[in-house]
Amino acid sequence: MIEIFVTGYGAISSIGNNVEEMLQSLLDEKSGIQKGKLPHSEKQLVGEIHFTNEELIKKFGLKTTGSRTGILGAIAAKEAFANHSINAEIRTGVISGTSVGGMDTSEIEYRNLLEEKPHNVANYQFHSSGNSSEQIAEELGIDGFINTISTACSSAANSIMMGARMIRQGMVDRVVVGGTDGLAGFTINGFRSLMIFDEEWCRPFDESRKGLNLGEGAGFLVLESAKSIEKSESTILARLRGWSNASDAYHQTASSPNGQGATLSMTEALSVAGMKPEEIDYINAHGTATPNNDLSESQAIINVFGSKIPPFSSTKAYTGHTLAASGGIEAVIAILAIQKGYLFPNLNHRNVIEETKLQPITTIQKVNKIRVVLSNSFGFGGNNSTIILSE
Amino acid sequence: MNELKENLKAQIIEQLNLEDLTTADIQDDANLFSDDGLGLDSIDALEFIVLLESEYGIKIADPSEGRDIFQSVNSLAAYIEKNR
Amino acid sequence: MIVADCYIASKGSFANGQKVHALDDGEENWLKTLYDSGKYDYPKFHKMDNLSKMAFLGTELIAKYILPEITENDELQLVFANSNSSAQTDLKFIDSYQNQGNPSPSLFVYTLPNIVTGELSIRHKWFGENIFFINERFDASFFIHQTNFAFKRGNKLCLCAWVDTTMNPSEECFLFLLSAENSAEISRERSAEMHEELTNRINNYRNE
Repeated sequence: MIEIFVTGYGAISSIGNNVEEMLQSLLDEKSGIQKGKLPHSEKQLVGEIHFTNEELIKKFGLKTTGSRTGILGAIAAKEAFANHSINAEIRTGVISGTSVGGMDTSEIEYRNLLEEKPHNVANYQFHSSGNSSEQIAEELGIDGFINTISTACSSAANSIMMGARMIRQGMVDRVVVGGTDGLAGFTINGFRSLMIFDEEWCRPFDESRKGLNLGEGAGFLVLESAKSIEKSESTILARLRGWSNASDAYHQTASSPNGQGATLSMTEALSVAGMKPEEIDYINAHGTATPNNDLSESQAIINVFGSKIPPFSSTKAYTGHTLAASGGIEAVIAILAIQKGYLFPNLNHRNVIEETKLQPITTIQKVNKIRVVLSNSFGFGGNNSTIILSE
Repeated sequence: MNELKENLKAQIIEQLNLEDLTTADIQDDANLFSDDGLGLDSIDALEFIVLLESEYGIKIADPSEGRDIFQSVNSLAAYIEKNR
Repeated sequence: MIVADCYIASKGSFANGQKVHALDDGEENWLKTLYDSGKYDYPKFHKMDNLSKMAFLGTELIAKYILPEITENDELQLVFANSNSSAQTDLKFIDSYQNQGNPSPSLFVYTLPNIVTGELSIRHKWFGENIFFINERFDASFFIHQTNFAFKRGNKLCLCAWVDTTMNPSEECFLFLLSAENSAEISRERSAEMHEELTNRINNYRNE
C-alpha cells in the first residue's frame, strides 16, 4: 500500500494567522471567540479573523483576489505549500472543501444593489464554490487536478480522504487538501434559524451546553507519496494512516441518538489504518457543543472504544465551528499534538454529560508521546468523516 | 376560536409545504409530531416558531418550550389566544 | 457495468432509455406531477428542495436494482456532483431573511448540496460512503474514477448522479448505477467505453 505522507501544513483562524501563532494560542489556552467586529457579525459571538479582505490580501502578499473564503483558503494553502515548488515531474493537484463559497462577497454586492449603493458586478464571479479552489490553485501556481467538495462540515476531511485515494491510485503525486469558509451573514442567519447558537461561549461535551459558536478560517495539508518526496525533497511532518466516510441516515441536520454514522466512520478509519482502538493516543472530536452532536458523538466514542476511552477534546471552544474548514484546521491541530506532545484542552468545560459521563481533557497537558490521533468531522446530511494521523 | 384554528391549519400547510393536505385532513386534537398525526420533525417545530412570530407576534426564545405548545392545533390555538 | 440509469427533467422521467412518464412542456409543478404519478407514500418529499426531489424521483425508478444484502453491508456508495451547488435554494433562503425578515430553517437545511445524498440515505437506510463534488460540467470519466476507488475497496455498487439546477429552467438529474464486474477495478479500455456510453445516454436524454 502506498504510504501517504504529510509534507506541509497551513492554517488561519481566530486563534492565529498561521500555524505557529495557532500553536501559541493553543498552549496559552487562549480562545479566539469574541463579539464580531465586521458588519455581518456584529453582536454575534464568533471566532472571527479581525481583518477585512483587503487587509488580508495586503498582509499576506497574495497574488490573487476573490471572496473571503477564497482569500482565507489561499493564505492557508500558501503556508502549507511554502517549502514546495512547482516541478514538472511531480503531478500536483488541489482539492478544497467549502460550504459558503463566495456567498460572503456576493451578499455584500447584492445588498449594495438593493440599497442602490455603488456595487461591483465583477465580484459575483467569486460566488461559486469552485472559484475558491481555483483561486487557491492559482495562488500556488498549480494547474493540475483541481476539485471542490461540498459536504458541509465534513468537506475538508473528505478532501483529505480524496487526496489520499488519488495518490494511492497513481492519479496524482502530490496534493494540497483541506477546506475553507469565511463568515457570512448568510451563514449566521441560517444557524440562527436553526436555533443552535449559544449566546455565550460554547461548552463542548458539557452537561449545560446550549449550542455552537460559529468561526471562520482555512486549514490545508500537503500530501505526497514517497516517490514524490524523492523529487521534492520535502520534510515529512506526519503520516496519514486512515480515513473513512459513512452515512448516519437519520435526519438532515440532527445526528442519530446511537451515533451510528459516527461509529461506522471511526471503525472504518481504524480498519483502513490497520489499527486497533487502543492505538489511538488522542481524539480531536467534532464536538460542536450542540446538545445533539456531543451526545451522539459521545455514544459513538463509547461504541468504538468501549471502556478504554483515549484522551479526547473538542478544540471548537478555541476556534469556533469553522464549518467546511474544520476538518483541515483540526488536522493541523492533530499534527501539532503529535509533533509537540501536547494534549490540547476542551476549554470551558465544567461538568460531564450525564448520560455518557465522558471526561475530556480540560487543561493543557504535556505527555511523553502522542503517536496517533483520530479526528472527526461530521456534516449536515449525516455525512460523517474520520481521519487518522500519526508520527 | 374555530376561525383561528382553520387559519392555523392553512398556515401550517403553507409554511411546512404539506402539499398533499387540506385543512380538512388535520384534526384539531391530532398529535402533529407523531407518525399518526402529521409526522412533523424538529425543523418543522422551528418553522412553527417563525410562524408564531411572523403571523401572531409571539416570540418563543427556547425551542424546548415548543414541544408542548405545538402538540396539536388545539394547544397551538390555546397558546395564541392566551399570549397575543 | 452500467446496471441502470434514469433521467428526470421537466420534459418527463426516463429509465434505461425508455420514457416512463411524459410531461407537458412548461408545466409549473412538474416535480409534484411526477411524484403523484409514482404514487409514492413519502410526504417528506414536499419539504425537499428541487435537487433532492429530482434525486428522490430518479432513485425510486432504479431502487429495485439495489439489493438489500448490498446495503446491509454498506457496500453501496453514493457519488454525486453538480455545477451550481445549492444555488437555487440559497437565493430563496436569502429572500426569506432579507425581504421577509425571517430566516427560514427549512430552507436553510437545503443550502448544502449534500443534503441530497442525506435525504436518499434517510429514505433507503443507506449507511455507506457518500460525497458531493462541485464540477464545471458533467464528465462521465470523473464518476468512473470515483467509482473505481469504491470497487478497489470491495464495494459492489456505486450510485452516481449529476443533479443540477441552473439559473435557466433546465434542471436535470441523471442517475446511473454502476456495479463491479468480477469485483475488480474498471480497466482503462472499459472506462473509455463506459465514458462514451454514459455520455451518449445523457445527451440522448437531453435531446429528447
